[in-house]
Amino acid sequence: MTTSGSGWPYAQGRDHPGPGAAGMTEVVPYSRMPGGGIARRPLHFIILADCSGGMKGEKIQALNYAIADMMPHLAAWERDQEQAQVFIRAIAFATEPRWHIQDPQPVAGLRWRPLQPVAKGLTNMGPAFAMAAEALAPGRIERRALRPALLLITDGMATDLPGGFEAGLTALMSQPAGKAALRLSIAIGCDAQSAALDRFIGDPSVPVLVADSTEDIADRLVAVSLAVSRMSEAGADRSALARRLFGRPDDVPAGIFNQDTII
Amino acid sequence: MERIAAWHVTIGTARGAAHHASGLPNQDAAAYQTGPDRAVAVAIADGHGHARHFRSAAGSALAVGVACRAATQVAVGLSEGRAEPTAAVRDELTRAIVTNWRTAVASDLAVQPYTAREQSALDLAGDSREVPYGSTLLVTAISGHWLVCAQIGDGDLLGVCPDGDVFYPVAADDLLDGCRTTSLCQPDAAALFRTGAHDLREVPLLVLLHATDGYGNAQAEEPWQPGVGRDLAELAAEHDHHWFEQQVPSWAQRCASADGSGDDVTIALLLRADAATMKQDHARRDS
Repeated sequence: MTTSGSGWPYAQGRDHPGPGAAGMTEVVPYSRMPGGGIARRPLHFIILADCSGGMKGEKIQALNYAIADMMPHLAAWERDQEQAQVFIRAIAFATEPRWHIQDPQPVAGLRWRPLQPVAKGLTNMGPAFAMAAEALAPGRIERRALRPALLLITDGMATDLPGGFEAGLTALMSQPAGKAALRLSIAIGCDAQSAALDRFIGDPSVPVLVADSTEDIADRLVAVSLAVSRMSEAGADRSALARRLFGRPDDVPAGIFNQDTII
Repeated sequence: MERIAAWHVTIGTARGAAHHASGLPNQDAAAYQTGPDRAVAVAIADGHGHARHFRSAAGSALAVGVACRAATQVAVGLSEGRAEPTAAVRDELTRAIVTNWRTAVASDLAVQPYTAREQSALDLAGDSREVPYGSTLLVTAISGHWLVCAQIGDGDLLGVCPDGDVFYPVAADDLLDGCRTTSLCQPDAAALFRTGAHDLREVPLLVLLHATDGYGNAQAEEPWQPGVGRDLAELAAEHDHHWFEQQVPSWAQRCASADGSGDDVTIALLLRADAATMKQDHARRDS
């Protein structure tokens, strides 16, 4: 995606293939441009996946399948739009969180490595939020990055020790990028929908997406990938987008979808 | 007798690839104006892309017009030795810009009032009549040995010295988070400006880069300013302003493309007319 800025006198590019390109009878020289080249703006998408003991079996299989299936959708969107390059990271959390994908990976060509449940693992969300917060700290992501997206997927209530959930959420919200992030959540099974997930999202216009069955997980991830893909569009009516994706009524406040404007 | 430098202005602007895809126009604007004794004022503006600012292309165009006129007034005052660019002078400049911009918006509205539907949307959102015209603004004036700058909202002002070192003519704004920006359309706009004044006898300015945020957001390097400054200093030593006039529009085009930020990009370069000589003199002194 990066094109050379100082690739004097020629540089490869979409419109000007450069010297030796097939079918070219005339080579159009790029001017020398100051700086170290150009690139699309990064859009960081961090998945926080519940790998507690309760996820074993059909749930984790369905989740792995659905995430793997979501990647080509995001990659196709990335190819079709004009602004963002999507980078994926993933945190697998149970009693403790760990990076499943630590370094941002371009979504194009990403092969999803299946998550594994942790036997008897709990659903401690706070430490996972804190881990994501560290990754979003100033200096850890590009200043020019688009607002990141965070997706929390869980099948159960948070089992954090008292104060643990709040501490992690506070750490996340204390980072400008964490606060500005599009935060989405998928609850696998009705039991998983909780006030905790609403607090993670932090916006009443964005509901928890409930997957009543494992078959629903893929559908909910499609909605998530659409939300992620649309969030960077300049001039997008984010309120209308929320209504379309999540089926909210017209009078729902726009919240996070309406922030690319004046302070 | 003090020698007054001459300056060339080169402007390039391009519609963002994302704007093209979504049917939005180029909402950036740029203008410059020359004054007596080689004084020059330059302004660029970036109309907000959100649908709430549906007249931001007009807002940015009005902004660069009023800013150039107000900055030229300051430049004239400086060239006649009537004033130093103190904080009070700069405050006066920003107040004049905001007042005149609001007047210009009112005049535009008199010609083209909001439709009933537009007015209803404004009322529902509680927006003032200026909000649809929302825009950032970067304006500079050089007069004699003074550089005066004012900026509201995002975008970049970058001073480049003959040795390629860079400086930032106005302070950074912690309010800007990459998604939201301060704006001329806000009620307290005059107070949201950041201003600066620099004595060019102490700061050897070779090139002054003005850019809307689509330019910086396209740069792969982080921070991008040192590399851009170094390259601009080299290019200024190798080429005259005619070369820059040919190149700058293509730089804007590339940064605005789908390989870059995809956003509207406007670049205005203020280039010292004797840039090559200045750089050679500087190199000789260093050696």
